Amino acid sequence: MISFDKVSKQYISGQYALAGVSFEIAKGQMAFVTGHSGAGKSTLLKLVLATEKCSSGNVVVNGTDLNHIRRREIPSFRRRIGMVFQDHQLLNDRSVADNVALPLDISGFSRRDALRRVRAALDKVGLLSKEKKFPAALSGGEQQRVGIARAVVNRPSIILADEPTGNLDPELSMETMEVFEQFKNVGVSLLIASHDISLINRMEYRTLILKGGALIGDTGLGELS
Amino acid sequence: MSDKASSKRRHENPSNLIKLLRNHRKDALKSLARMLFSPLSSSMTVIVIAAALLLPSLLFAFNTNIAALLGEFQNNARIVLYLTRGTSDTQALEVSNSLLTSNAIDSVDFISNEEALLSFSDAAGFSQIVADFEANPLPASIVITPNLAGLAELDQLAASLDQIPEVELVQVDSLWLRRLAAISELLVLAARVLGLIVLLSLCFIIGNTVRSHIENRRDEIKIIKLVGGTHSYIARPFLYIGLFYGLLGGLLASLLQALIFLSFRNPLNEIFSLYDSSFTLPLLAPAMLITLAFSGATIGWLAAIISAYRYVNAIST
Repeated sequence: MISFDKVSKQYISGQYALAGVSFEIAKGQMAFVTGHSGAGKSTLLKLVLATEKCSSGNVVVNGTDLNHIRRREIPSFRRRIGMVFQDHQLLNDRSVADNVALPLDISGFSRRDALRRVRAALDKVGLLSKEKKFPAALSGGEQQRVGIARAVVNRPSIILADEPTGNLDPELSMETMEVFEQFKNVGVSLLIASHDISLINRMEYRTLILKGGALIGDTGLGELS
Repeated sequence: MSDKASSKRRHENPSNLIKLLRNHRKDALKSLARMLFSPLSSSMTVIVIAAALLLPSLLFAFNTNIAALLGEFQNNARIVLYLTRGTSDTQALEVSNSLLTSNAIDSVDFISNEEALLSFSDAAGFSQIVADFEANPLPASIVITPNLAGLAELDQLAASLDQIPEVELVQVDSLWLRRLAAISELLVLAARVLGLIVLLSLCFIIGNTVRSHIENRRDEIKIIKLVGGTHSYIARPFLYIGLFYGLLGGLLASLLQALIFLSFRNPLNEIFSLYDSSFTLPLLAPAMLITLAFSGATIGWLAAIISAYRYVNAIST
């Protein structure tokens, strides 16, 4: 599902964000990417989401070679990936339901069909009762869960999450992880960037450890379905 | 499978066309709502667009009426053939009759030199002076009413009439018509140049308005791009904004033009009647008003396409 082969990302300044990183994430596998700030976690996710291109190496996601993806193919490629952002990236002038419905709206779903899926996604993250509220009326944790609902509403084959528990207390963090596990159990691949070592240790999933852009560890702890 | 089941399946999996139409309807309504959300600035933009469209449109309408007026005067144009001194009335009548066989001539009116002298003395009030003439100095003449559409054909006819041996001089009363035609041509040119300038200005005004709408929604566009929004999905509401601004501007310009025509109609018709013209300023044709509104909408749409293509693409994720 996700394949990195000797991938490097060098910025114009000459600094390497990633250097010769290779790994593979299979279908239905859940993996963490960890490391200190500036280790390259976010850059790695950006390469998977095709918001940036690697300087060398090969990135293949869902069978698409991202070195050769055309600009006009990127939107449909992204629609098959669910992304959970650290800063939630919610539209403040739209209700919770409308935020979650955004990927469905883009895909051309009717309002009725979209609402059905939105409610199912919100139910999954425990926010069904807040579908009509606006993001500003929600707590940080609730906003994060709206972001998760939006990421999964289009039934993606891959979910990427950038520090999804960064603003959550330990209990909510575990709840969020349990939601992710549910998706893993139905064959969705998950790549989660996090620096919350205690959470990662508790989850006991495969962990990729980055330092200065290089992959210095891969626990390889199973969960291959 | 039952009809009910297949109908349900069609509802759940609508065709791409239905999805597209659904999205267009939704985006059009949203764009209209956004414009109505800031009525003052939207109204100002619409007024500016209307004012810009009105000027060349008025020039075109003015020129169209001058052309119609010119046509009417051309129909009233006359050619006068002054005959050589030795031409007898019998010869002159023969010439008149032969002229009537031409398709280019509608009617002829022979005026003998005696009739001419009589008319001159009556009209000018020189009866005493005319009475003192030893001989009649005025030539016989034939007044021709041509059956032609343009000034060029009139010139051609005059040249051919000049070849008749009995004709001393051909006089075409068309100088002022030529002046009016030249002014009309100048107005057409001015309207075209002004139209081009207005087109560019409107593109700039609407493009800039659309750019401002895009800038106001920059964060939203970024998020939509991140979750897989296509360029057309993102740009579509802005295209409708451009379309609506242009359409409303065009409609307002149509309304203003109709009002201007209505208020000038009676005074101008009075002037025409004073010049013995049967020409009356017509009310604006609905087709012209629709064209104006349609032009505004088209310009708005095109300007929005250019602006949206440029500025939406510039927003990177």
